[in-house]
Amino acid sequence: MMKKTRKSSEQLGRAKDPSGFLKSLVQAGLKNRIFLIIIIAVLALVLFGTMPFMIGVDSFFIYYLFMVFIYIVVSQGWNLIGGYTGQVSLGTHAFFALGGYTTALIWLHDITHTWYYFDPLVMALSGVVPAIFAIIIGIPTLSRLRGDYFSFGTLAAAQILQIVILRTTAFSGGAVGLRLPAGGFTDLGRYYWTALLLVVLAVVAVYAITKSRIGLALRAISEDEMSAASHGIHILKYKLLAFIIGSFIIGVCGSLFAYYQFIVNPSSMMSLDRWMFYPLLICVLGGNGTIMGPIIGAFIVVTLFTFGENLVGRVHPMLSGILIILVMKFMPTGIWGLKDKISPRR
Amino acid sequence: MEIVIQALVNGILFGTMYGTAAIGLSLIFGTMRIVFIAQGSIIIFFSYLCFWLFTLLGIDPYLSIIPIVLVALLLGVAFYYGLFKESAALQDRISSLLIAVGVMFVAENFMTVAWTPNPRAVVTTYGFYTVRLFGIHTTLTRLIALGIAILATTGVFLFLRKTLIGTAVRACSEDSEASSLMGISPHRVNAVAFAIGTGLAGIAGINFATTYSFDPNYGFDIAIKALIALTLGGIGNVGGALLGGIIIGVIESMASYYVGMGWAQGILFVIFILTLTLRPYGLFGKISQKA
Repeated sequence: MMKKTRKSSEQLGRAKDPSGFLKSLVQAGLKNRIFLIIIIAVLALVLFGTMPFMIGVDSFFIYYLFMVFIYIVVSQGWNLIGGYTGQVSLGTHAFFALGGYTTALIWLHDITHTWYYFDPLVMALSGVVPAIFAIIIGIPTLSRLRGDYFSFGTLAAAQILQIVILRTTAFSGGAVGLRLPAGGFTDLGRYYWTALLLVVLAVVAVYAITKSRIGLALRAISEDEMSAASHGIHILKYKLLAFIIGSFIIGVCGSLFAYYQFIVNPSSMMSLDRWMFYPLLICVLGGNGTIMGPIIGAFIVVTLFTFGENLVGRVHPMLSGILIILVMKFMPTGIWGLKDKISPRR
Repeated sequence: MEIVIQALVNGILFGTMYGTAAIGLSLIFGTMRIVFIAQGSIIIFFSYLCFWLFTLLGIDPYLSIIPIVLVALLLGVAFYYGLFKESAALQDRISSLLIAVGVMFVAENFMTVAWTPNPRAVVTTYGFYTVRLFGIHTTLTRLIALGIAILATTGVFLFLRKTLIGTAVRACSEDSEASSLMGISPHRVNAVAFAIGTGLAGIAGINFATTYSFDPNYGFDIAIKALIALTLGGIGNVGGALLGGIIIGVIESMASYYVGMGWAQGILFVIFILTLTLRPYGLFGKISQKA
């Protein structure tokens, strides 16, 4: 009898008082990890989604977050092939630039007859072209090259692309680049929310892939290729799949960056530092081959580099070099990797 | 016809520089599996050092070989024990690559801050002497550079063949696990390999400073070409790396003559990919030498 009344009163309390509902949510979250993750993700999304309303759309902080988002997406794309599959690609900047150039060329030549500026179709196509490029360079390099040699191969392919872009001036604008037909840059808001959307899509996509059978195959390949092959995993197929999806993600992000810059040229879109080493650094710093790694890494790296540039100016690349060295020397597993050291439970 | 031979000779002379860089890279990669991408920037750093010794203290570039190589050897040992020891032991390629990238960043930007990004050159009184051999013009300094590069390569080759520690380096380069089972301490060997690598970078730096003008951003370019030379020659193959460098130099100068300066690099990269996919053990290597 007593028991029954307590229970019913609890139910009553929950119905009346919203904090009771919140409390039960927290309790459910503590019991169920996935539930907790979803709650945190939604809270973060709401926080970042409403950020422009809270501090003003054109503030520096919004620009900073936009850069963080861009780097999260690019790094997440790299993470799929470099982190989860263990094939260290050094051609990220090529896919990024291809995305941007595709956007510019489609717009300039009026190919799709849509509205172009932030057109989902154009952005998707800007992912498809790098994906095709990934197939073209992926089949020879992934089938024949292991370890470092794959890295060299992708780097060489990317450099070839850069030279082609630089040389075919009539088509790609050469070193000057292509200017997008001036759209209506209104404020940073659109860029910010699109980047946030891309972050969500990229993270969800990579997470879904890694939790599926494909992800299992990728992990197996990264741990021991021979053994994976002997267990019936088609190595080339899965490596190529990861490479293609990763390139697609990077390409779409390149498209967004092209919209942001209104100009695509080799020095900005194919910068070796910004679009190849930084995503690599972000992944390794945050934790390579983890879903949280690129997110943590991007926040840290972009914070340091953005504010480093403002505070110490010309010396800042030197400091970032020292940072890379120190991190790699003392924390090669990355920040998210430390979690496993503290609690061995996975 | 004469201009073709001229281009060929220039290519050979320039290629020896890539070659010396590639030997260093090859030793470092062979023993520790570290892609020491900073090699090019280190070379340029030594060029600047040579430039400094010359302009501030008036030391002749060829005399400065002794202090610069000494500094370079010490730097190599310091690099190994200070930065790469852990990642070399684990054969953790991403970490070591990123550390090398970090070194490159630091070196490049240090040079930009210390010596400005403007191109510099060591201008000596004898720098303008031209030599005429069999109808081909070349400067004296380039010939001397070729001589120094060949001497250095021979020195390294003999060191690897004739001395005990050199043999240990070769053993580690072939199979580091087996050689550590044979009682070879990997750390000493790795430090020696690293020291030779940076020592050769010092020599290449002097050669570069005396023959061409240089600026801080040139380093990555050299490193990439050294990497191509290394794959052409086969890993751990000293003579092959030098030959690979020369091949690259020749291809580069021929390609810039026939198809234009900008495409030359593209051709090099195509050759790079072809070598990687078709002959990963190098042009002169045996199939048994696995990468």
